[in-house]
Amino acid sequence: MSDKHGEEDESKKAKMHLKANDLLCVNGCGFYGTPQWENRCSKCWRAHQNELKKSQDFAKNKSLLSFDQFQERRKSTTESKSRGIKNLFKTSPIPESGTSSPTSTSPSSTPTRRRDLSPDSLEARKQFSDFLVANLSTAMAQEIARSVKNAVNKISEMRLNSEDMSDLVISYYQYLGDRIGVHSYFNSPDCKVKVEDVMDQVEKYISTCCYAMFFCASHDEEVADMSLQDRIRSLHWVTAGFLETKLVFKKQNVRDKVDEAITELIEINAKKSAFEKLDCLTRSCKAIFEALKESESSTSADEFLPTLIYILFRGNPPLIQSNVKFISRFAVPARLMSGEAAYFFTNLSCALEFARNMNHESLQMEKTEFEAYTSGHMAPPLSVLNTACNQAMYVLEGTIETIVTVAKKAEDLLKNLTGVDKKSDDDLEKMLILIKETVDIFPTDEYIQMKESIFAEEQETADLLVSLSRQSSESGRGTLSTSADNTQPSTPQPQLDPSFESPLAAAIVQKEATDSN
Amino acid sequence: MAARNSAGGAARPGGPNRTCQFKLVLLGESAVGKSSLVLRFVKGQFHEYQESTIGAAFLTQTVCLDDATIKFEIWDTAGQERYHSLAPMYYRGAQAAIVVYDITNTESFIKAKNWVKELQRQASPNIVMALAGNKADVAQKRTVEYEEANAYAEDNALLFMETSAKTSMNVNDIFMAIAKKLPIGPAQGEPTGTVDMNQPQQQQKGSCCK
Repeated sequence: MSDKHGEEDESKKAKMHLKANDLLCVNGCGFYGTPQWENRCSKCWRAHQNELKKSQDFAKNKSLLSFDQFQERRKSTTESKSRGIKNLFKTSPIPESGTSSPTSTSPSSTPTRRRDLSPDSLEARKQFSDFLVANLSTAMAQEIARSVKNAVNKISEMRLNSEDMSDLVISYYQYLGDRIGVHSYFNSPDCKVKVEDVMDQVEKYISTCCYAMFFCASHDEEVADMSLQDRIRSLHWVTAGFLETKLVFKKQNVRDKVDEAITELIEINAKKSAFEKLDCLTRSCKAIFEALKESESSTSADEFLPTLIYILFRGNPPLIQSNVKFISRFAVPARLMSGEAAYFFTNLSCALEFARNMNHESLQMEKTEFEAYTSGHMAPPLSVLNTACNQAMYVLEGTIETIVTVAKKAEDLLKNLTGVDKKSDDDLEKMLILIKETVDIFPTDEYIQMKESIFAEEQETADLLVSLSRQSSESGRGTLSTSADNTQPSTPQPQLDPSFESPLAAAIVQKEATDSN
Repeated sequence: MAARNSAGGAARPGGPNRTCQFKLVLLGESAVGKSSLVLRFVKGQFHEYQESTIGAAFLTQTVCLDDATIKFEIWDTAGQERYHSLAPMYYRGAQAAIVVYDITNTESFIKAKNWVKELQRQASPNIVMALAGNKADVAQKRTVEYEEANAYAEDNALLFMETSAKTSMNVNDIFMAIAKKLPIGPAQGEPTGTVDMNQPQQQQKGSCCK
C-alpha cells in the first residue's frame, strides 16, 4: 500500500510541471479534469478518493491482521507467564466442591460477581459433564469438572483483553493436560478415552465460554475484518483461471463439491467452539480434495493451496480473520501444531496472508492492469482464464446439451415411427402375396368351387357372346362388317367353342345341382 | 520397510517402543515430484488416482527403528513462486525437511539450493534436512550431475540421495535416513513425577485467591 502513497506523491510533483495542454480527465471518461483533483473530473475524483480511503484503511489495519505477530507474541508470553498463571487456576476456592457432583454445577451456587453464562455455554457445559460422566470414573470426572468449573469462573470474573486471556487459557490447557496425563487411570484397561479426548471436550467447553466475551470483541478487530472482507470483495475478479487451479467446472460433481467447500468455510463463523470451527475447516478442505479428485487432478499442495484461495475468494466468509484469531487463541496448542486440522489451519492462514499481500506480481500481470481490475475500473477480458469458472454458463451449457440430446432423441423416435409404419405396410403386402401363394398351392374345396363357378360363368358369357355375334353376322353382314373385321384376329375363340361345349354344359349342370342343393 | 500404525500416546517412557511424532515438511519447485515421493513412501503407489485416501497434501507414515517408532507427519507445500513467501508458516516447528529437485531440471536445483539457504537461516536450528534429486529413472535426460549435488550436500551437511518415485528407488531409504538422524528424546507427555489426582491438595491450598 506504500506504493500507492508513493504514486500520490509523484503525481503531486508532476502536477507542478503540468501544462494546460491536456485538460481532459485522466480516466478518459470524456469530461474535463481539474489539477486540484489530479486531473480527474469530479466524479472520477470522488471515486478515486473512496478507493484511496479504502486502501489506507486496509494499510492501517494490516498490522492488526497480521498472523505472525500475535503467534510469535503468544509463544514468548506463554512461556514466561505460565508459572504464575498456573497458581491462579490451581487454587480452588469452591467451598461446596467436596459434595458437588459434576452434573450438579447449577448457576445458583455461583458467586454474585460472575457474569451469567450464555445459553451456548450452558449447553456446552451440559455436554461436557455428560461426556465426563459417561466416560470417566466418578472421582476423575469430579476432579476434572471441578478444575474446569473453577477455570470458567475465573475467565468470567477476570476483566482481561483477549490476548492475555488467551495466554491464561493456553497455559491452563497445558496445566490440566499435564495433570491428568500423568494419571494412571488413563493407562488402565477399563478407561475408554484418551487424555486427548478429554482435552478436546475441555477445549470445546472453555472456548465456547470464551466465545461470548472474546470473539471479535474489540472494535479494531471488527474493522480489520471488514476491511479484509472489502479487500477480498475487490479481488472478486481473481477467478479459478487466474489462480491456475485444476478444477474442471464442466462437471456437476466438481461444482457441487466447490459449493460444499464454500458452505463449510462460511459455516466456521456459525460455530462457537474452536473445536467445531476447526471441524468445519477440515470438512471444507476435504471437499476441496474431492473436487480436485473429481477433476482428475493431483491433490498435492501445488493444487490444494490455489484451490483453497479460490474458495476463500468465492466464499468471502464473514469475520474469517477473527475466527482464525479465535482458533489460535483458544484451541489446544497441540491441535494447531500437528495433525490434519493443523495443516488445514496453516493453509487457511496462508490463504488469508496471500489475499492480504496479493499484488500484480502474484498474478504475473501489469501493475496498472491489476489496480484497474481491483478498483473496478476495468473488467478482465473474457477469456478461458475467467470464464472457466462461470458456473451459470456451465449450467446453461449443460442445459443446452440436454435439449440437443432430447431433440435428437425426438427425431430418432419419429424416424423409428415412420420405419415401423412402412414396415407394417410392407409386411401386409408380403402377407397377402404369401396367402395368395399358399392358397394357390393348397386350395380349399370352397376355393376350387368358387373358381370353377367363376370359370363357368365366364364360359357362359363367352358362349352367349359367340351366339350373339353369330346371329348378328347372319342377320346383317353388311352393317357389321367392321365388327367382323375386328373379330377376325380373335378367331381362336369361335374355333375353340365346340370343344368348350361340354365342360360349360357340365358346369351349368353342376351349378344348378349345387344351387338346388 | 516395516510400517505399522502408531500406538498413539500409549508409549512407555524409556521402553523399547517409544512413539515419537515428527513434522516433516516438503519443499521444492512445483512439478518436481514432491507429492509422488510421499505417495510412494506412504502408499507404495506412483499414480495418485489409484489411491483411496483423500488428499496427498497431508499424509502420515510410521516407521520402526530398533529402539523407537517414528511417526512422520508430512506437510506438503505449494511450490509455485507466488506462494514462496508463505513457506515459513509451513516449516515453523518442523523437525525435518526434504528439499526436492528434479535431476532433469537445472532450474529446480537452483531453487532447491535457495530453499536450503532459507531453511538454514529461518527454520529451527536443529532441523534435519535432506536433499532429494528426484526422477532418477530418467537419468539419460539428466542435467544436474550427481557429483555436483553430492558435493553441495556435503558442504551443507545435508542428507543426499537421488530418488525415483516411479521405480521407488531410494524413497524409503531417504525417509529412514532422516528417521535415524532425528533426536529421539523422551516421548511426548512423559510423566515427570507421580501426582495422584485424588489427593485433595487443590482444595487445601487456595482459599485466599477468590
